[in-house]
Amino acid sequence: MFGLQGEKMSLEEAVINDILSRVQKPARYQGNEWNSCLKDHSSVSTKMVFAFPDLYEVGMSNQGLKILYHSVNLHDGLLMERVFAPASDMENHLREHKLPLYALESRKPLSTFDVVGFSLQYELSYTNVLNMLDLAGIPLRSENRSMSCPLVIGGGPCAYNPEPLAPFFDLFILGEAEEILPELLLEVGRLKKVVSSRRDLLLHLSNYEGVYVPSFYQPLYEQGILKAIKKLEPQAPDVVKKRLVTRLDDAPYPVSPVVPYIQAVHDRAVIELFRGCARGCRFCQAGYIFRPVRKRSMGNILKLSESLIKNTGYDEISLSSLSSTDYPSIGELIREMDEILTPGRVKCSLPSLRLDSYAVELAEKLHHGKRSSLTFAPEAATERLRRVIRKNISEEEIFSALKDAVDAGWQGFKLYFMIGLPTETDQDVLAIVNLCRKIRQDLKNRAKSGLMLSVSASTFIPKAHTPFQWEPQLELPLVKDRQEMLRSGFKNLRGTDFSWHDPGASHLEAVFARGDRRLALALERAVRLGCRFDGWSEHFSFQRWHEAFDQANLKMEDYAYRKFDYHDCLPWDHLHCGIEKDIFIEEHLKAIAACQEEENS
Amino acid sequence: MSRIRFTFTREVALAYLSHLDMLRLFLRALRRSGLPLEYSRGYNPHPRFTLALPLPLGVTAGEEIGEVFFSEKVEAGFFIEELTSQLPGGIKLTGAFSVGAEGPYIAALVRAALYRAKLKSISTVHGNARLVKESLEKMLLKEEIIMNRTNKKKKIVSTNVRPFIKEAKMFYEQDKNLELMLELEAGSQGGISPVFFLEQLQKEAPSEIPGVHDWHIHREKIIFVDNPLPAFD
Ligand code: SF4
Repeated sequence: MFGLQGEKMSLEEAVINDILSRVQKPARYQGNEWNSCLKDHSSVSTKMVFAFPDLYEVGMSNQGLKILYHSVNLHDGLLMERVFAPASDMENHLREHKLPLYALESRKPLSTFDVVGFSLQYELSYTNVLNMLDLAGIPLRSENRSMSCPLVIGGGPCAYNPEPLAPFFDLFILGEAEEILPELLLEVGRLKKVVSSRRDLLLHLSNYEGVYVPSFYQPLYEQGILKAIKKLEPQAPDVVKKRLVTRLDDAPYPVSPVVPYIQAVHDRAVIELFRGCARGCRFCQAGYIFRPVRKRSMGNILKLSESLIKNTGYDEISLSSLSSTDYPSIGELIREMDEILTPGRVKCSLPSLRLDSYAVELAEKLHHGKRSSLTFAPEAATERLRRVIRKNISEEEIFSALKDAVDAGWQGFKLYFMIGLPTETDQDVLAIVNLCRKIRQDLKNRAKSGLMLSVSASTFIPKAHTPFQWEPQLELPLVKDRQEMLRSGFKNLRGTDFSWHDPGASHLEAVFARGDRRLALALERAVRLGCRFDGWSEHFSFQRWHEAFDQANLKMEDYAYRKFDYHDCLPWDHLHCGIEKDIFIEEHLKAIAACQEEENS
Repeated sequence: MSRIRFTFTREVALAYLSHLDMLRLFLRALRRSGLPLEYSRGYNPHPRFTLALPLPLGVTAGEEIGEVFFSEKVEAGFFIEELTSQLPGGIKLTGAFSVGAEGPYIAALVRAALYRAKLKSISTVHGNARLVKESLEKMLLKEEIIMNRTNKKKKIVSTNVRPFIKEAKMFYEQDKNLELMLELEAGSQGGISPVFFLEQLQKEAPSEIPGVHDWHIHREKIIFVDNPLPAFD
């Protein structure tokens, strides 16, 4: 009669179930989703838990998770489960009941796994990484972990400069992990039986291309300035090279991803058209680290899409890539997709659009009937500044694309801009308002029932492995001034809605994006002071972070505003993203030249 | 066009889904099954599928009912086979019946629901079984129990929900668990949830009566105006 009766439940299970009745969105911690994979723990050689340091809804939208979950669980000898950052109510209950953080599938504590692997997507999730380790009862610093502790590994975009996290991780995987990870896990399973120390285990693993063991390298500082990175183990590589999947068509693809019950941020099937982006916008880390461009064949895309829909029951599939409309035969692909998807009433969507008429034409094909809003990212409002960042698009093209979109029935547009870009002046910032005013003036009569612009301005963050890696971030007071200029500009502009990013959070992101190992201490202090979910404005506390930096005797400004010289040693110099420094220097010089060209003319 | 009504259970493994989550779960399972779903007309067509009565978060269930329309005839046996293979552990299909496509939707036939509430931990029972009983009696003697709700216009609307409590009984044996049996009205005519009922009960003696989260609630079945399943006739 009762669900609880008859089912044998351990005490822990009972406590977990009780806790679930007391927290917000308990399905986040429930598991048991369609396509989730529960294997017998005693039947495999290596057990890994994929840890995503943000909420379930965010993590379940991450394509990396889906790919790795699939590629590892394909192997009989391996298993992968999932865990996400618990929201604060769940965290409090876990701590109160002294329950360790558990994996969703088996509800076993993280410490019973061989490997805990964190997905490092953005810097503002670092406090969650540490907090999750703490909740799992795993010593934060890798030097304090015994042989019986899981290996703590990390991957994802932030692994290209993981130095602020270095003391907490046993190893990082640089680049794309779907091919190397199963191999590495099998090796861990084998080595566990033969090696006697963690150091030996890591030494073996460091032979794999793409594996970076931070404890084998030591940064050397002189008067607070990083001078060199010293290798401590002769066997370890001088420079760690990234891993790369050479042919997408041959790589494993998750055609049966876990389907969440609660709404994920992206609640749809995803098919990746190609990896990498050839556009080379100078601020864009993704554009560089995912090079070269590797395309999936159309036949493969169609075949995978069909299975995806069949295995998940989704009614939407996203044609995903960094700039999907650059897929060589995108028009033909959309036609073919339509044919296989229409009978099942599945719609197809494009995540981002290039600002040109062709992209609008494609969007028109996709949106039968319904026209919500279109998203474009001009990034900068003057042609000069767009040339500096290499977002090469003319004002004329912007207008003709928007005109086409309005004629096709769209009335709402989201426009993304950045402030604080190198060489930016007040004029460039005011130009954002002027551009939007002009768009409204020119197009509002064309649109049937008015035109709505949602304008968003983020703050430029210089990232490692980009031509702007040497550039400082715009100083905080100036960021605030420029945001204020925009706010007051848009206040007087009807039919526009302006939003901006928390300047403090962007400042902190810049600190960590080009940070070094000394930041680890500030991070530890911040977690102790209660910092969590720093990417969520309702949780972010700049004041607490200031306190943490004070305690660690460090200054955020030293990191965010630092201008590096070409010959300076960068904290990530021993990590290679596949692109030589010369290319970055060349691109950086071109950016400066693009700026001067304009001034001289 | 054809219509099938089906019964299912929900176990504790999937108890923490909201009504919307449940709808998504079934819609995706139905789409995966490849059965010939009938779609609504209009701007944004969606499969014609409903659940008779939303099941509150955390509540398990013994006999829930859903209803789905197909564009062609689908045999009940075939339906069970195809849908069962697409349902996750924790949701079990227990029956399916073809009903004519004409006639009211299942949700319009709901009259009430039968619940059992049991304390999660036996240790919380001792000492307050008598108190629970007294409070229950006190509560049932009331002529008015007011429920305040904010409506769509953000105005507070007060309703007397006492008439919605059809029956509320307590069962208790020394050293055994304490159980409440509740029949509460539900559906489009108005009603109350077992969660609200237990909250009210606790209000009778706030410091001694267990809170809502100390109960495990199980919905035994939904009670209909007409029997919605002809095979039971
Ligand atoms: S910003 Fe977009 S188009 Fe530019 S390089 Fe990055 S991914 Fe490519």
